Amino acid sequence: MVKFALLHKNESVRIAPRLIAWGLALAAIALIAGGLVLDRIAAEQHVPGSGSFWLYPFLLAAVSAPAVVGAPVVARHPHNPIGWILVLGALSLAAVLAATPYAWVALYAHPGSLPGGSWAALVSSLWPAFFAWPLAVAFVFPDGRLPSPRWRPYAIFAACSVTFLVVLLVLADQLEEPFSDVPNPFPVRLPEALGFLRLPVWLAMFASLFVGAAAARVRYKRSQGVERLQLLWFAYAVGLIPLGVVFFLLWGLIFGGNGDAVVGFLLGMEAAVAIAVGVAVTRYRLYEIDRLINRTLVYTVVTVALGLLYAIVSLLAGVALGRGSTWVTGLAVLAVALAFGPLRSRAQAAVDWRFDRLRYEGIRRVRAFVDDVREGRREPEEIGAVLAAALRDPSAELLFRLPASDAYADRFGAVLVEPADDERAMTKVEHRGQEIGLLRHKRSLLVHPDLLRGVLGAASLAIEIARLRVEVRLQLAEVEESRARVVRAGYEERRRLERDLHDGAQQRLVTLGIVLRRLQRSLPREARILGPALDSAVDEIGLAIEDLRTIAAGVRPPRLDEGLAAALADLARGAPIPVELEATHQRLPEQVEAAAYFVVCEAVTNAVKHGSPSRVRVEASVAHGELRLVVADDGVGGATVAKGTGLMGLTDRVLAQGGTLRVHSPRGAGTRIEAEIPCES
Amino acid sequence: MRIVIAEDTVLLREGLAGLLEDAGHEVVARVGDAQALLAVVAEHEPDLAVVDVRMPPEYSDEGMRAAAEIRRGHPGTAVLVLSQHVETRHALELVSAGGGFGYLLKHRVLDVDDFLDAARRVAEGGSALDPEVVATLVSPPAHEDTLGELTPREQEVLALMAEGRTNAAIAKRLWLTERTVETHVRSILGKLGLPISGDDHRRVLAVLTYLRASAV
Repeated sequence: MVKFALLHKNESVRIAPRLIAWGLALAAIALIAGGLVLDRIAAEQHVPGSGSFWLYPFLLAAVSAPAVVGAPVVARHPHNPIGWILVLGALSLAAVLAATPYAWVALYAHPGSLPGGSWAALVSSLWPAFFAWPLAVAFVFPDGRLPSPRWRPYAIFAACSVTFLVVLLVLADQLEEPFSDVPNPFPVRLPEALGFLRLPVWLAMFASLFVGAAAARVRYKRSQGVERLQLLWFAYAVGLIPLGVVFFLLWGLIFGGNGDAVVGFLLGMEAAVAIAVGVAVTRYRLYEIDRLINRTLVYTVVTVALGLLYAIVSLLAGVALGRGSTWVTGLAVLAVALAFGPLRSRAQAAVDWRFDRLRYEGIRRVRAFVDDVREGRREPEEIGAVLAAALRDPSAELLFRLPASDAYADRFGAVLVEPADDERAMTKVEHRGQEIGLLRHKRSLLVHPDLLRGVLGAASLAIEIARLRVEVRLQLAEVEESRARVVRAGYEERRRLERDLHDGAQQRLVTLGIVLRRLQRSLPREARILGPALDSAVDEIGLAIEDLRTIAAGVRPPRLDEGLAAALADLARGAPIPVELEATHQRLPEQVEAAAYFVVCEAVTNAVKHGSPSRVRVEASVAHGELRLVVADDGVGGATVAKGTGLMGLTDRVLAQGGTLRVHSPRGAGTRIEAEIPCES
Repeated sequence: MRIVIAEDTVLLREGLAGLLEDAGHEVVARVGDAQALLAVVAEHEPDLAVVDVRMPPEYSDEGMRAAAEIRRGHPGTAVLVLSQHVETRHALELVSAGGGFGYLLKHRVLDVDDFLDAARRVAEGGSALDPEVVATLVSPPAHEDTLGELTPREQEVLALMAEGRTNAAIAKRLWLTERTVETHVRSILGKLGLPISGDDHRRVLAVLTYLRASAV
C-alpha cells in the first residue's frame, strides 16, 4: 500500500502518455479488426485454416482486454510499467494475430495484392508474443516492481529466454505453421553449429512461465488486506499460463499439431490475465479508476437523457407551435437547462445505487440523520452511532477533536489526550481543511476509501456541530467546577474565621474578664467602692463576647457541626418572626449542609426584609439523592431573581452545588423558594 | 475540693485556677491537653476536672471525649466542660447519663458565683447545663404540643430545672419562695407525665431525658 501512496503523489497526469497509450490501444484493436477482415477475404478464396468464425470473439477479447485495461492505467499512472506492458502486449499480440490472415491474403488468396506477404508470415511465426506480456505482468503486478530483489535473476532469465526464442524463430530455416513452406525472408540464418540451442531455449522459455506464475503466487501469499484481495484474481489468472503450456504439450502429443482449440485456449488466457488486472483495478479500486468509471457512467446517462428530452420537447413543441419556430429551440433548451441539475443528482444516485450500494445507502442514512438534526428530532451527538450503522461497522467509534485543546473527546465529553492504539484503523475527519474528529473503524473499511470519504463528508456538518456542543459542555462543566471550588473555599474560610473568633478574641475577652473578677474579689474592704465599676466593666466584656458570638454565628453557625437540623433550629429560634421548621435529621456532606443552611438563612432574611410576612415555613427533606429545600412566607411576594438582589447570591450557592432553584412569588401572595441540591448520601 | 484544670490557653488556665483557689479550692494539677488530663486524673483522683472542649492536637472535641472517658473510668471525679460555643449532642448525652457532669459556655465563668455554684453542684454528683443548651431543648417549635400547656412561669422553672438547679436556687433566682417553686415543679412534672421525686438530681435527669427524647 505504501507504493500506491507514492504513485498517488504523481496525480498531475500529463497529456502525452495518455494519448500515446490510447493511440497504441486503438492501433491494437484496429489491427485485430483489420486481421478479421483479411480473414474474411482469405476464407472467400477457401484458404486452408482461414474462416474460423468461432475464434473471432476470442481474438477480439485477447487484444481488446489488455488494451482497454492498460490505456486508462497509463493515463492515471504513467510511471507504472503495468499499463505500458498491457498496451504494448495487446499491440504485439494483435500484430502476430493479424499477420496470419495478412499473409494468407498476400500469398494465397490474392497473390501480389498486398506487399510483404512473407514478412507477415515471419511475424505470424513469433508465437512467444502470446506469453511475453502475461509473463512480464506476472513478475511486476501490481506495483511495477519485482516481489523482491531476490527475483531479479529469475526475471532476467525469463526475459532472456523469451528474447532468445524470438531471435531463434527469426533466424530459423523454416517458418512456423501454417507457413512452413514459405521461405524465411530474413537474410540471416542461424549457424548450423548453434542448432543445438533450440531445445534448451524452448525449455527455458517454458520454465520461465512456471517461474512467473510462482512469482505471482508468492506475492499473493505475502500480501495482506486490500492487496490480497487485489491479487487473488490475478494469481489465479496467471496460474493459467503453465496450465496452458501443459495443455498445449498434451494436445501436441495426443492429436499432433496445434489445433484451433489450443489457440482459443491461449487467447482466453490472455483475456483472463488482462481481465484479472482489470478486476483488481476496478473492483478493488487499485488505481482509483472506479471513480472515473462512475463519473463517465453518470455523464453518459445524463447526456443521453438530456438528448432525449431535447428531442421530445422539440417534437412536441414543433407540433404545437409549428416547425422552425425559435420558440421551439428556446423551449427545448429551457427544458434541458431546468432538467440538468436534478437529472444529474438522480443519475448519480442511480449509478451509486447500482454500482456502490453500500456507499449510496450509507450517505443516504447520514443525510437523513442530518435532516433530523436540523428539524430538532435528534441530537447531533448521535452522529457516532449513525456512522457506525452507515458503515456497517458496530466497532466504529467517533471522537471529537476539541477546538480549544489538542485533545479528543467522546460524545459524553470524556477527554482522551492520546487515543489508545488497538487493532482498529483510524481515519481523520476534516471539515473545511480543519480536523474535527477521528473515526476508529475496522481495518477492512480501508478497502473502501470512497465509502469512508462519502459517508464522512455527508456527516461532517453534524460532527462539527456535535464537537462544538461537546466543547461548550466541557467548558461549562469546568466553569461550574471552578465556581464550586470558589464556594467551597468560601465555606472553608468561614470555618477558619469562626474558629479564630471563638478561640482567639473570645478567649482573650474571657481571660480579661476573669482577671477583673479576681481583682474585684480580692479588693480590700475599703476599696469595695470600685466594685460596681468593675461589674460594669465585666458586663461590657460580656456584651463584647455576645457581639463576637453573634458575628461568629453569622460567619458559620457552630451547630452546623451537629447537622443541618440543629443549625436550622437555632436559626428558627433566633428569627424575629415565627419560623415553622421541618428539617431532616439525616447527615449530609458538609458542603451540602453549609450550602443549605446559608440558602435558608438568606431566604429567611430576604423574606423578613422585603416580604413583611407574619410567618415563614422552612422545609428540608431528602429524597432520591437530593436535598429539597422550601422556604415559603405569607408576605407581599413579587420577588425576582435579578442581579444585586439577595436571591441572586442564593441562586449562585445552589448552582455551585449542581442544584436548581425556583422562585415563585406572585405579587400579593407570598414568596415560595424551592431548591434542590444533589447529595450523594 | 481538689480540682484539676485542662485548658490550652495558659492565661485563661491560670485565671481559672486563681478563681477556684480564691474560692478556697485546691487546684492539684493544670494541664494543656487531653492526654495529660487523663494522666493527672488517674494520678490525683480529684473531685472535679474543669475541661476545655477544644484542645491540642486537633482542636475539635478532645475535651468532651476525655470527659466521657473520665466519667467512665473514674466515677469519683466529676467533670465540668467549658466550651466556646454551644454543642448539644455530646453534652446532653453525658448530662443525662447520670450526675457528676456539667457543660457551660466559657463566658459563664464571668458570673463567678453562678460558676462556683455549678462547679460545686457537679462535684457533689449533680449536673449543670448551660442555659443556651437548655434553650435548644425547650424552644417552642420543638414542643408546641406538650410544652405549650405550661404557663410562662412554669416554662421558666422548667428551663432552670433543666440547667440542673435545685429548688432553692430556682426560688432565689426567680424571687419566689421554695414552696411556690415546689408547686410549679409538681405541676410541670404532672403535665409532662413524669414521676414526682424529691431528689433534685433524679428530677433533672427525668426532665432532660424527656426533653431529649422529644427534641433534637
